[in-house]
Amino acid sequence: MNVVAMAGVALRRLLRDRRALFFMLVLPVVVIIVIGATVSGFDKFRVGVVDNGRGSLAQGLMSEIQRSRGLEVARYPDEAAMRVALRRSEVSAGIVIPADFDARLRTGASTAIPVLAEQANQAAQGAQTAIAAVIDQHATDVQAASFTASVTKTSFDIALRRAQQAGTSGGRVTATQQVVDSKSVVLPSGFSYSAPTMLVLFVFINSLALGATTIDNRRLGVYARALAAPIHARSIVIGEVAIAFALAVVQSAIIVTIGAAVFGVSWGSPPAAAALVVAWALVGAGAGMLTGTLVHTPQQASAIGAPLGIALGMLGGCMWPLALVGPTMRTIGHLTPQAWAVDAWTDLLSRGGSLADILQPLAILIAFAIALLTVAVTRLRHILVP
Amino acid sequence: MSLAWTIARKDLRQRLRDRSAIVLGFVAPLVIAGLMSFAFQGTEHFHFNLLVVDQDHGPVGAALMRGLSAAPIRDVLTVRSSTTDAAAAAVHARHAGAALVIPPNFSREAENGDSVSLRVLTSVDQELDGQVAQSIASSFAAQINADRLSVETALHSGAPAATTGTLVAKAEQLRLPEQVATESIGKHPLTAISYYAPGMAIFFVLFAVGFGSRSFFTERREGTLDRMTAAPISPIAILAGKALSVFVFATLSLATMAVVSSAVFGASWGPTPEAALICIAMALSVVSLTALVITLAHTERQAESMASIFVFGLALLGGNFVFVSAAPPVMRRLALLTPNGWALRGFTDLATSSGAGAAIEPIVAILGITLVLGAVAASLARRTVVQ
Repeated sequence: MNVVAMAGVALRRLLRDRRALFFMLVLPVVVIIVIGATVSGFDKFRVGVVDNGRGSLAQGLMSEIQRSRGLEVARYPDEAAMRVALRRSEVSAGIVIPADFDARLRTGASTAIPVLAEQANQAAQGAQTAIAAVIDQHATDVQAASFTASVTKTSFDIALRRAQQAGTSGGRVTATQQVVDSKSVVLPSGFSYSAPTMLVLFVFINSLALGATTIDNRRLGVYARALAAPIHARSIVIGEVAIAFALAVVQSAIIVTIGAAVFGVSWGSPPAAAALVVAWALVGAGAGMLTGTLVHTPQQASAIGAPLGIALGMLGGCMWPLALVGPTMRTIGHLTPQAWAVDAWTDLLSRGGSLADILQPLAILIAFAIALLTVAVTRLRHILVP
Repeated sequence: MSLAWTIARKDLRQRLRDRSAIVLGFVAPLVIAGLMSFAFQGTEHFHFNLLVVDQDHGPVGAALMRGLSAAPIRDVLTVRSSTTDAAAAAVHARHAGAALVIPPNFSREAENGDSVSLRVLTSVDQELDGQVAQSIASSFAAQINADRLSVETALHSGAPAATTGTLVAKAEQLRLPEQVATESIGKHPLTAISYYAPGMAIFFVLFAVGFGSRSFFTERREGTLDRMTAAPISPIAILAGKALSVFVFATLSLATMAVVSSAVFGASWGPTPEAALICIAMALSVVSLTALVITLAHTERQAESMASIFVFGLALLGGNFVFVSAAPPVMRRLALLTPNGWALRGFTDLATSSGAGAAIEPIVAILGITLVLGAVAASLARRTVVQ
């Protein structure tokens, strides 16, 4: 009963604290909305087009680019404007249809279509592949028309029409991709990558920030007054753990619910996802409580919380997949609980894993949680009963 | 002015004795920039191994190998022959980025006009390598299709069937008339460290809003402010002193991060004068935000809450955590409502060497936001100090 009363006191104080409410309720919502809006439309490559062409061939290419299902096209008035968008990565690649496009092709000459992109960039390479496929398709018909016009007396335009009609009927040479491994070591790109990693990152940061309430309780004498009443120190500690854990679960639930309802994030197998959320909430509660017992002022808690949360998040693969970094960084990363949580989400989302598949990372997370909570509880008990 | 400077010096001394401020202003951004730089070391140069499995042993395979050894493809690839099983195993084990398989009888079936397919073996974890390999195979297939279509259309348009052999030979000499000419967007592509170093520096410098506003309320609680107002010091001088200390702290923090991340981690902040001006404008916006929090809050606790909300709200909206350039236009426009969003835009433009004048718009925008926030704060300032 005392445990519930102590948890209730902590909760009431939190609900009156605008900063805590912001971290607890508003920040997760803002995070999920910003991430959702930022990474939406990841199934298409954003490309820019400057159409300097004057003629039906240029128009034809332009409409094929716009019809392409893999491309989201933004038109720019000139190359300078498109280069600015490219530099800022607002588009992954930029196509410039030359002014003499029609003139050259109609005379049987070839033409180079500049595609501007950052060469070592994954999105840019993907966009270039998609663009090349559209241009190759267009060029196939133009080559056939040009060839026909040169070896027969048929005009270019009639030959082009015939090529376009024939192109859809005959046998074709294709290139088919065959994935040799169905199991990924990284999360799928786009929202499904960001949502779980941001859950891991922000639930941890928020938990550390809420560690400030433990410090306030100490400074304001809440514990001292509770101990003066017939309340056992154990009840106070359990109450504190319960509220820290419940808050982390609530934050996770907000992110999961909004992610699924508004942005259609798939969180994988529900029991496995629930187990993971609970395990991560325990880690967050442990880390938050430990911060609350280690530092002396709320200022110190906020000074440590954000950088520590971000640094561990980076090491643990919340900002970028650990598959991208070298083996040393991967090993160091796995000293953080974040890496194990991200690994488990990868299992659930990229490999369709079930609860049984994530038992190892789950066990490690629970071990982290037990270690953090044990130290935090011991320290808190020591503070309560010196 | 000397009074303001005295107050600022006192505040700065206090700030530098506060380990929290040192951690947030200097240590944390550097540690995080270091982590980022270390994580991405050697990942920005693109090259991979491509295995070719030629089960056809015909002219098509030979033509493909010739194409692969030509520039510029050979600059990004190391091509080796292999067998299907060995190639699949190598791609799976990430020893090769991708493999191209030319199936048996490919040349013959292609010549007969049958539907045939080149196989590209890829791994889900080597998406970029797979995309490049797919692109090479698709271009190669497109050329074969174009040659076939050329002959077919010519025959359909009246070329004598007896000349088919000659037409095929002629068509095989053709190259697709529209060639993609890839152009790099410049000598200075935006690297992760060049985006996130300023991103993290600005995020942590926003915490100065919390320190600045809290110190004001602490002084009011402890009576220091009363003693200052009782002395012949105008409220404006007190505020100027406070503002100056926040400005110096924010500028020092940004400058340290710029110098160290450039020198040690290779981040590009752009030309020094422009980057310095953006840092100064950003530091001024931190001052106006601090002033706003002081005038809006009534207690130390409220100031702390508001500062936290400002820090995380602005950082999320402005793109300090997510790469806002890749976001839809509406998010990009929202980012430009924040001073940090403009600062990041400025640093992105400077790092990608967009030329002289790139910093002007961001600086004007940051100063504009600073003035608006400052004007609101100033209209409430006198009341707060006199209270």
